Amino acid sequence: MDFKCFKLLLLGGAVRLYFSRTSVAALIGNRVEFATPLNSYKRMQEGVFLLHQGIDPYSGDLVHETPLVLKAISSLFLNYAAFLPLLYILCDLCTATLLYSMSRSFVAQKLQQQRKESENYDKDSIELQYSEKDHYDIAKMVLVAYLFNPLTVMSCIGLTSTVLSNLLLASFLCALTRRHLLVCLVLLAFETVRSLYPVVLIAPLLLIFARRSAGLSIAIFLMFASFCLAIAGANFLVMNSWNFLDGTLGFIFYFRDLQPNIGLFWYFFTEMFEHFRTMFLITFQLNATVLYLVPLSIKLRKEPMLLATVLVALMAVFRAYPSLGDVGFYLALMPLWRRCWKFMAHGFVVFTFFLVTLSMMGSLWHLWIYAGSANANFYFGATLAFCTGQIFLITDLLFAHVKREFCLYNGQKIMIDGEEARILLE
Amino acid sequence: MGLLSDPSLSTHNKLVDNLAKHVRKLCLALYTAGVVWFLCLAMPEFNHGTYLSENALSPGLVYPEIRIEANRLAVQLLEELQRERKEHQSTTPHAWIAAKFQEFGLETHTHNYTLRYPFGDGKEFHGKNIYGILRAPRIGSTEGIVFSAPYRVPSSVHVDITPSVPLLLAFADFARRKNYWAKDLIFLVTEQEQLGMQAWLEAYHDGDKESDSSDAYLRAGNLPARAGSLQAALNIEVQDLEVDYIDVKIEGLNGKLPNLDMFNLVQRIMAREGVVSGYKHTPRKKRRSHQSNYEQNLRQMLAMLSSQASGVPNGNHGLFHRYRIDALTITASKRVTNANVKSNPTSAAVPLLKAIEGIARSLNNLLERFHQSFFFYVIVNNDRYISIGDYMPALIALVACTFIKAYLTWSTLDVTVAATQSDPKSAGGKSTLAADTMKLSLPYGSVLIYLTFVLLIGYCGNVLPLQEYFSKLPLSAAPLTASILVGLNAIGFVLPFVVTLPPGGLELLHIGLLLIYGCAMIVIGLLNFSLGFFVAVISMPLIIALNTKASDKSMRNLTCVWTLLLNPLVIIYIIVLIMSFYQFPELTALQLLPRAASAAMDAATFALIDSVIYGNWLYFVVCTIFLPLWIISWTLVVGKRRDVEITKTKLKTN
Repeated sequence: MDFKCFKLLLLGGAVRLYFSRTSVAALIGNRVEFATPLNSYKRMQEGVFLLHQGIDPYSGDLVHETPLVLKAISSLFLNYAAFLPLLYILCDLCTATLLYSMSRSFVAQKLQQQRKESENYDKDSIELQYSEKDHYDIAKMVLVAYLFNPLTVMSCIGLTSTVLSNLLLASFLCALTRRHLLVCLVLLAFETVRSLYPVVLIAPLLLIFARRSAGLSIAIFLMFASFCLAIAGANFLVMNSWNFLDGTLGFIFYFRDLQPNIGLFWYFFTEMFEHFRTMFLITFQLNATVLYLVPLSIKLRKEPMLLATVLVALMAVFRAYPSLGDVGFYLALMPLWRRCWKFMAHGFVVFTFFLVTLSMMGSLWHLWIYAGSANANFYFGATLAFCTGQIFLITDLLFAHVKREFCLYNGQKIMIDGEEARILLE
Repeated sequence: MGLLSDPSLSTHNKLVDNLAKHVRKLCLALYTAGVVWFLCLAMPEFNHGTYLSENALSPGLVYPEIRIEANRLAVQLLEELQRERKEHQSTTPHAWIAAKFQEFGLETHTHNYTLRYPFGDGKEFHGKNIYGILRAPRIGSTEGIVFSAPYRVPSSVHVDITPSVPLLLAFADFARRKNYWAKDLIFLVTEQEQLGMQAWLEAYHDGDKESDSSDAYLRAGNLPARAGSLQAALNIEVQDLEVDYIDVKIEGLNGKLPNLDMFNLVQRIMAREGVVSGYKHTPRKKRRSHQSNYEQNLRQMLAMLSSQASGVPNGNHGLFHRYRIDALTITASKRVTNANVKSNPTSAAVPLLKAIEGIARSLNNLLERFHQSFFFYVIVNNDRYISIGDYMPALIALVACTFIKAYLTWSTLDVTVAATQSDPKSAGGKSTLAADTMKLSLPYGSVLIYLTFVLLIGYCGNVLPLQEYFSKLPLSAAPLTASILVGLNAIGFVLPFVVTLPPGGLELLHIGLLLIYGCAMIVIGLLNFSLGFFVAVISMPLIIALNTKASDKSMRNLTCVWTLLLNPLVIIYIIVLIMSFYQFPELTALQLLPRAASAAMDAATFALIDSVIYGNWLYFVVCTIFLPLWIISWTLVVGKRRDVEITKTKLKTN
């Protein structure tokens, strides 16, 4: 890591520190777009306090953080509350650094892989290949995309625990590119017990560590399961009761809190008839986890990192309590696919979508909640459009990847009967 | 093929290229479509008849019980009040009003508030409201309805509305004898126009504070008693007990409106009691003009939108909207002596009293807050309206121009930038290949810094005039605010001559402008449709015409002048000039110009005061959004020439 990146890190930290001392911080901490029931600072505070008082935090319906995390930061919360923003900022900077080092090793691996396969590539595809310069460029872009994305900055100054999730995910991805199996498994198990959905990331992990042998896959999967159990057990030791499972994973799965957020769950579950709830609950949760997992894993079996990126993105779109911090995280992974960008046709459209829907969310929320003149439908319209924008982005990335793969081997200019060729999906 | 699964290998779309050539025509077509759509809305085929959707209101279900005694009481109270007014030339007869409330058996309280005038160097003004609560016999003070009447001192410059207070008192006396109230009724007499009302509402909702923070300009004080959550409010302004017609005022703070049901309710009940009433009602003589139905409708719409656009409420009711309380003002005009109409002073106000009773009883029936009908509407006629779904397409068509232009500009950006950077002839073929790298190498950083700086200038306009060290200067409020605003505009004017953006920066700034402008228009249009629509209609042609490509000189000069004309300060000046031209037609042009200038300075100061005391957004929006947007457009208009010169010199050196 060179001097310039340190400067960027310092600047990112300074920006966060500045905003965390303004009144914006409290405002963001209360915005539903950033603070969901899962990650809000207030609920964390409540959990720490209840734990400190010897009351089971999960007997109510407020706290949804795991006991281990609550216990770990309780002394900080209680004694050094003024320095908490610093802790969150440090976590965020760590995430940025991990992403940086992850992208460096990712590009290094890509280059190595390219060297092996380069004979088969078309001559016209230099532009599509990772170059030596990317080694530095892409990593820097990832760093900038994480540090200076307003979504991650705000999520950090709002003291949401998404910062922690991002840190765990970033270290998982970093360990994944560096092939540290045990570290990967522990981190993934920890994050899975915290927020359920990262369980899908086991697919890229298996693809990397046990591509050819089914036996090894099963062994790794069993290891993962036992790690999950061990972490749940550790949580149990903190609390001496299994209540927390229902308070965290159960709360996510059963979607008990209908507070509006940027996701798709809340509106449907407020509108639907109660006796259909179970069916839709299962449908929605399947959609958020395994529905895309199998086809994507088969299609992207040679590109586990792309699979991981797409899964992280899909998670942020379809999970039960998404926040903009999650969106900011996967946006920071986009520069990894720098060489696919050429084929991404909707980048500008998606950007405009984001800009318009995010600014509309603010005003529609004001009209709905404070002015009382608009209603839930207006706000849901904006969040739905936002989700559509995200899906545009993800689909665009996948298609761009497919096109890039094709062009790598066949060149970029294919003319059939004097007309430009089109790829057909069959 | 599908939008997402476009099988073409190259992202270069021919359709986009072709559209990009005709981007101006396309945008102008959309612009025209938006304006035409808006004009169409005045036609009866495009708007709907009003109807009551809240069944609980059931207007006119009960027979009015208020009788001629109430009118007699009102006349008697008016005489007493007129006597009191002779002794209180510039103060409110608080003691008399409170005594009357008490006499009628209401729970009477006074409310004190203090205004720390922002430019007064610590000067303070005090005020006092009086209110009486009639506790509902059937419920534990969980909900309330407000009936308010502003009191104007004899020395006031506004129209005399003294009879409002006796009318309110007469109705209070009647209401107290009834046992069917399901909501507490609050009878409120405010002073100092909207200030008293704002202070009362703030005190009602912001809870009891131990000590008022010294930061606030309006220290609202505390209320000794409350009456639950307020469901609705009716503000009464009566010029005379003999009523000619009633004008219903609905426009509130920041262009908010009460629920359409509330307006309909008032219209229905007034009609039943035989009171002539309407929205923006004018005396009969004026109304008898020979306009077509369409023209009348259009005038009504424009009148409504223009009174909404400033965001200043046109009555005390407007401040209630901020607290989610539906409210409107009924303004009763004095009957101009007319030989044909014989009126009996002993029963003149009975229909109005009956109407107030009817409204009160309907509001009393409400089971929950108004929510059934529209909150976003434009009234075309007394009984016709346009809902948000019908008028929004006009604004969307206007705003869509910016996004389409932004997309097309972005898609063809590589060609444009290449043309300015290298030899234009070889650019076409090469650029498509390197399109992707070209877009990445654009000077995002410097453009971002420029944008931030420009926004900072706008932000200063918001903060600077209220700083302490400025208020110590020996300048009164209006010149101070005006000079700061002019100073900021001057910085914005000079900025493009001082700062040179790197090549490609202007094109990027152009796209940034389009996106920011589009988003701002959408947000403003959602919050206050009329402001957003008017601004879009005025400024969109310029936004469409803006072009960073080299074009002929006359066109460039035209846009240059055009941009200068659209400067926020210039626009404010022009609006004030037109208004003072109509108000003082006797003045000559030379007299008018300086007069309008000082009036514009006052207008800016009032807008600032409105923003800090009442929470009006207009000043904030103009400073923080329109001014930066103007600076960016100005940069685009002027900056181009420098860019061309630089590339020319570069070419020469090459």
